[in-house]
Amino acid sequence: MSTTKVQAKPVAVERRRRFDRRWAGLALLLAAAIYAPFQLVPFHVFQLTMVLVYAVALLGLNLLVGHAGQISLGHGAFFAVGAYAAAVLMDRWALPYPLTLPLAAAVAFVLGLALGVPAMRLRGLYLALVTLAIAIFLVPLLKRFEELTGGSMGLTLAKPQPPAWSGLAEDQWLYFLTLAIAVASFLLAASLLRSRVGRALHAVRDNETAAEVMGVRLSFYKTLAFAWSAMFAGAAGCVYTWVIGFVSPDSFTVNLSITLLAGLVVGGLGSLSGPVLGGLFVMFVPSISQDVNDAAPGVIFGLLIIAVMYVAPTGLAGLAGRLIKKIPRKE
Amino acid sequence: MSTDLVVSDLVAGYGDAQVLHGVSFTVREGEVCAILGPNGAGKTTLLRALSGMVKARGTITLGGAALTGRPPDAVARLGVAHVPEGRGTFMPLTVEENLRLGAYVRRGPSVEEDLERVHQYFPVLKKRLKQAAGSLSGGEQQMLALGRALMLRPRLLLLDEPSLGLAPLVTRELFRIVRTINEEERTTVVVVEQNAHLALGIAQQAHVLETGRIVLSGTAAQIQADEQVAQSYLGYRV
Ligand SMILES: Nc1ncnc2c1ncn2[C@@H]1O[C@H](COP(=O)(O)OP(=O)(O)OP(=O)(O)O)[C@@H](O)[C@H]1O
Ligand SMILES: [Mg+2]
Repeated sequence: MSTTKVQAKPVAVERRRRFDRRWAGLALLLAAAIYAPFQLVPFHVFQLTMVLVYAVALLGLNLLVGHAGQISLGHGAFFAVGAYAAAVLMDRWALPYPLTLPLAAAVAFVLGLALGVPAMRLRGLYLALVTLAIAIFLVPLLKRFEELTGGSMGLTLAKPQPPAWSGLAEDQWLYFLTLAIAVASFLLAASLLRSRVGRALHAVRDNETAAEVMGVRLSFYKTLAFAWSAMFAGAAGCVYTWVIGFVSPDSFTVNLSITLLAGLVVGGLGSLSGPVLGGLFVMFVPSISQDVNDAAPGVIFGLLIIAVMYVAPTGLAGLAGRLIKKIPRKE
Repeated sequence: MSTDLVVSDLVAGYGDAQVLHGVSFTVREGEVCAILGPNGAGKTTLLRALSGMVKARGTITLGGAALTGRPPDAVARLGVAHVPEGRGTFMPLTVEENLRLGAYVRRGPSVEEDLERVHQYFPVLKKRLKQAAGSLSGGEQQMLALGRALMLRPRLLLLDEPSLGLAPLVTRELFRIVRTINEEERTTVVVVEQNAHLALGIAQQAHVLETGRIVLSGTAAQIQADEQVAQSYLGYRV
């Protein structure tokens, strides 16, 4: 018994220290995020805002893919639903913009639930195909209901204006709105995952059969994960509409869904920092590959993904974790 | 109402391949029943049919409640805990998360009580609560699988070859714990085991399964004394 005590203590201390470092890291990151918009030119502030928007969408995709072990090639469709829900509510019903966030999230959630019930009975390749179909059907559907959606022309909206008390410029105000929503989304996702429900999701991902014999209802949790992932996508889509001030069907093609999935995998599946790194990927990599080779951006894009996966098979989050461990520490 | 397990005319298989061809037996409440038989006899399939993992015809009742036709999660809710062949622990999750998942169908403060109880049965696990289940040794994983099953507060515990891949000493320890659980909690146990000695050592009744049929039934002592069984499963002649 005495030997176990001797080793138990350092382990506890070590865990404690890792915990402290993690909070310190997060605090630092948040401080940097608050400081950044005062130092950057508006275009860069806009880019950072979009990284956060994609990070919220990826947070949802991460629940489904990284934590519940299901695949979706249609995440962009729910992003679009959130974006259009916000746009239509603001355009046709002249709703004040803060109200569109919960509504867009709710619409995406309900749609996710409705589509999740049949889709989540499928697995692997079949699920991939059905979710892909959702993404493919969306664009013509948006063009079809022209009265509501503005058809191929899309809808143009006034961007949310900063209140006078804030003293912020428009881009800064949008940035801080998005940052607040992103932080809230991360806290929500983290608390979901720490609960009994989170454990059930992990059980489904790691071993469906074993989860089932322990009383976990597979179809229920898969569907729930699908609906949640849609909800986060919808919220992100809504913020997208605020930030861009314009929606059109061609912004939400299948490409978006595939880029989102690629971004998540590259960022790091199942980790909390994965979506942020993935957000950077979704924001910058497609345009970088466009710059490198205008003729075949897809090829460069693909090569970049392969390169990242080769260097960091667990995604950028895993790579970052490994590098941090290598930094020598003071005792 | 007693919590006897009554199985009658159980027919089960995979797709077109029928594996069990009418299996019937009864296990009394609080007893241990051993299922012996050669590889491929259908022992694992029998346990899977009991826990709802494979579709079965015939009837299975536990304490009068029908289990047949229910999906696995519903069977689990009725108090049936299955420790599958190869354990089925969740490797990336910690030991504690695995254990808490075991109590998944229940809520409330009793979960903490049950964790404490499992720690008493398996002190090894208590030391490794925050460790990933995948990093445990084979023996520890089997303990975890059993501990997790206990978290369900099962009325019926199904064990599929708990000794698989374990050192003799660990296997004996494991069976000692199964017996303690059975005696202290009055949990009914159905254990499938290649190590017939150990299984018969804790069982009251035993059945020998061959190609999907029960070919021999009796008390553990009778089975132990049977010449055929001795040759096939115990490795010596009487
Ligand atoms: N998932 C499956 N799909 C199809 N056939 C299966 C499946 N699992 C088992 N079988 C077949 O069912 C028969 C009985 O298998 P089972 O696993 O029940 O035997 P067992 O008695 O547990 O054997 P062992 O002692 O080797 O574990 C075998 O012929 C096997 O090939
Ligand atoms: Mg077997």
